[in-house]
Amino acid sequence: MATIQALTDQLKKKFANAVTGVENPEATQLFIDIKKDKVREICNEVIAQGGRYLVSVGTDYLAKDGTLGLIHTFAFDKEHYFASLRTATKEMEPIESITPDIPNAGWSEREYMDLLGMKFTNHPKPKKLVTADDWPADIYPLRKEVPFNIKPLAAENVAYQLDECPDGCSIVPFGPYHPTQHEPAHFALFVDGETIKGSDYRGFMIHRGVEKLAQTQISYNEIPFLAERICGICGSVHAASFSQAVEIAAGHKISRRAEYIRTIMLEIERVHSHLLWLGVAGHLIGFDTVFMQAWRVREPIMWLCERLTGSRKTYGMIVIGGVRRDITPELKQDILNVIGTIEKEMVTIKNAIIGDTAIHRRTKDVGYITKEDTIKWSLVGPVARARGVDIDARRDQPYAAYDEMKFDVPVVDNCDVWGTVLVRVLETFEAISIIRQALDKMPNDGPILMPFDDALPAGRHGITAVEAPRGEVTHYVITGEENRPERWRVRAPTYPNLQGVPMMLLNNQLADVPIIIGSIDPCFSCTERMEVVDLRNGGMKVMSQSELEALSRNKG
Amino acid sequence: MDILAIIVNVVVFLGLAPLFEGVIRKLYAKVQSRQGPPIVQPYYDLIKLLGKERLVPGNVAFKIAPMMAFASIVTVVMFVPLGFKANFLTQYADIITIIYVLTLGGVSVLLGALSSRNTYAMVGASREMITMIMVEPVLAMTLIMGALKVKGMSVGASFFSVAMTGYGWGVVLMLVVFLMALQAFVGRQPFDIAEAEIEIIEGPFIEYSGPYLALFKYYMMIKQMFYAFLFVTVFMPFLQTGSYAANIGTQLAGILAVVVLISLVGSTNPRLRIEQAVRYYAVLILLSLTAVGLTVYGI
Repeated sequence: MATIQALTDQLKKKFANAVTGVENPEATQLFIDIKKDKVREICNEVIAQGGRYLVSVGTDYLAKDGTLGLIHTFAFDKEHYFASLRTATKEMEPIESITPDIPNAGWSEREYMDLLGMKFTNHPKPKKLVTADDWPADIYPLRKEVPFNIKPLAAENVAYQLDECPDGCSIVPFGPYHPTQHEPAHFALFVDGETIKGSDYRGFMIHRGVEKLAQTQISYNEIPFLAERICGICGSVHAASFSQAVEIAAGHKISRRAEYIRTIMLEIERVHSHLLWLGVAGHLIGFDTVFMQAWRVREPIMWLCERLTGSRKTYGMIVIGGVRRDITPELKQDILNVIGTIEKEMVTIKNAIIGDTAIHRRTKDVGYITKEDTIKWSLVGPVARARGVDIDARRDQPYAAYDEMKFDVPVVDNCDVWGTVLVRVLETFEAISIIRQALDKMPNDGPILMPFDDALPAGRHGITAVEAPRGEVTHYVITGEENRPERWRVRAPTYPNLQGVPMMLLNNQLADVPIIIGSIDPCFSCTERMEVVDLRNGGMKVMSQSELEALSRNKG
Repeated sequence: MDILAIIVNVVVFLGLAPLFEGVIRKLYAKVQSRQGPPIVQPYYDLIKLLGKERLVPGNVAFKIAPMMAFASIVTVVMFVPLGFKANFLTQYADIITIIYVLTLGGVSVLLGALSSRNTYAMVGASREMITMIMVEPVLAMTLIMGALKVKGMSVGASFFSVAMTGYGWGVVLMLVVFLMALQAFVGRQPFDIAEAEIEIIEGPFIEYSGPYLALFKYYMMIKQMFYAFLFVTVFMPFLQTGSYAANIGTQLAGILAVVVLISLVGSTNPRLRIEQAVRYYAVLILLSLTAVGLTVYGI
């Protein structure tokens, strides 16, 4: 339990030679520059001081000073701040992997092997993660000199090598296209009979290069709209967290009213997302009635969102400096009516679910992991809260108007899928209560949008976390020149949670796979951060069957 | 005239099985606050599938399996006493024949699944096999109980045993067990484990498409109707009226009631895991044995 001061003192004392600089621009932000040969030890020390690993950010400074930067970020939940350890390495020099101690860093490090050409020593699984299997070995797409629209030639006869299948087990493939997942991702399950003895994951098949696009093609004010398209469900969350990260980096303060409107949007999103998840979870255990009923209850929220923002999803509401539409008194009454109905129906649903022994049979003791493992693997959101880990970015790292809201963070210690059901149902009630409070306390005046007067200063760092329905979203922004960020790193909640799935799957039945994968509410598109835009013709065209067939046969 | 009753059997089963399927789908939709497809949708589905291209990944067994399944279930419905009246063929069959020919349908499903060599089909086949092994005894016990009651193995005797000798505690217990096994017989939630759309993507039928899938679908619909019919004929003899036509009418009404029950149970239960289901089936087998035991002692 270390305050910013205590942490810096401790690190300076223990690693006097390795700590080269400390920066503390805001009360919630701490940046420590360290030398690369002590990375692993310092990271361990930060964990020992109570830090929770978030994400690693790789940056390319080759053009400036011939180095590749690596930033390991940690959250201190009790003290409400983020600590980032910044280090740098020469192009070909390896850096020590922190994955053996912090397993969740595995993907981040593999990502930078692929995207930036970093080298890591002692990485337990140095396989490809992001780039395609036939991607050339000497092109690192996130480097500055590589153009955003590079299209290397396809190679033949290359395939991802799955992990070794244990003796006596056979492989059941889940994916890349499987009804459980709704998005392409491949789980190879090693099964003995119907019992799962291991698994390997190969995803990132639809990696969209959103970060690269934002760093090379579009400007600050456009990125929130791109950020919304990272995820089809938690759009406002990504837009809000990107905007916040930029605002923090630039020291820009937005109006209180805008913060309240952001809070309302984020909570509306949580209500609809949890209802959506509940439906999907029902479907995954073969209980379509839950699915249909939950989605029926959800529908009024979608209509409400259309009245609030103009669209059912992907609202385009939150931008840097505030929000784009106001909540009028009529809309306020509308919101109150809708959430009142939802709350009533949620009570029925809650009682039905809690009383249904059939659902208990399918979800209890399924996907079990202990609290210790959950902490060790840095899992977030309802997945962690169902395992007794009391974290919630809304309370721990307050943003928007959450510092004035009163709410409980439901935590249960079932450590299984049933726990995540329970947590999500209870959270829906909390979200409804937060919306009521926010509507009640919202200041009546103040501009909703406060644009920037001048260009943003370059080279400033900002990190923020927003509690999305599925867990904590972390955005890291380094401001740059040309009115766009130098580096923007998105870490959606699925990114850490998906790394915990193999552990949850272990020793469960094949029939439980859908609900276990589903219990983290996976959002592969969040994890893969892709965007496809067809710029060629702009307009829409209805294609005939023969045209479509020709298109698919000639591979577009 | 002998042949007429058999034709009526076949026509009624082939003609109405998709309708009952449509009723089930409609009721599912109503429970789920949906509009649902029209009741005749299963007919459209079958017609559509029959007009599609045939894709065969496996060997000859893959093609034969759906025909065999369809043929076996049609064979069964040919000699069952529809309208509470034994027809010309009934005397040539006994309950062992019924059990065997029904099992042949299940075996065909396994055969098709295994010949497709798909991983999900394999998993589905192994689940189907477990389900068959565990619920078939309940069917057998139902028929054997009838046979014991009237001391005869013929289809007519077994089916009309309750009508002839009346209810007893054994019959009541068997009735309950049969209802509990009904969902498993027809492969509906919570026992649609072998198909499990979400995990193993229709399991045994994953590789099937077009006319072959249509045959399998038709087979499943007729099987569903057959089990409803079996329940009505054995346990609801009071539906008998004077005339053959009226009997068919009341029997179909009874089947409709069973179908409603199937859809209500199905739409309010999640799918079980196979090992949970096996535990459940084990209880059913024990209970059905008890029912037969009670019948032996005339209770």
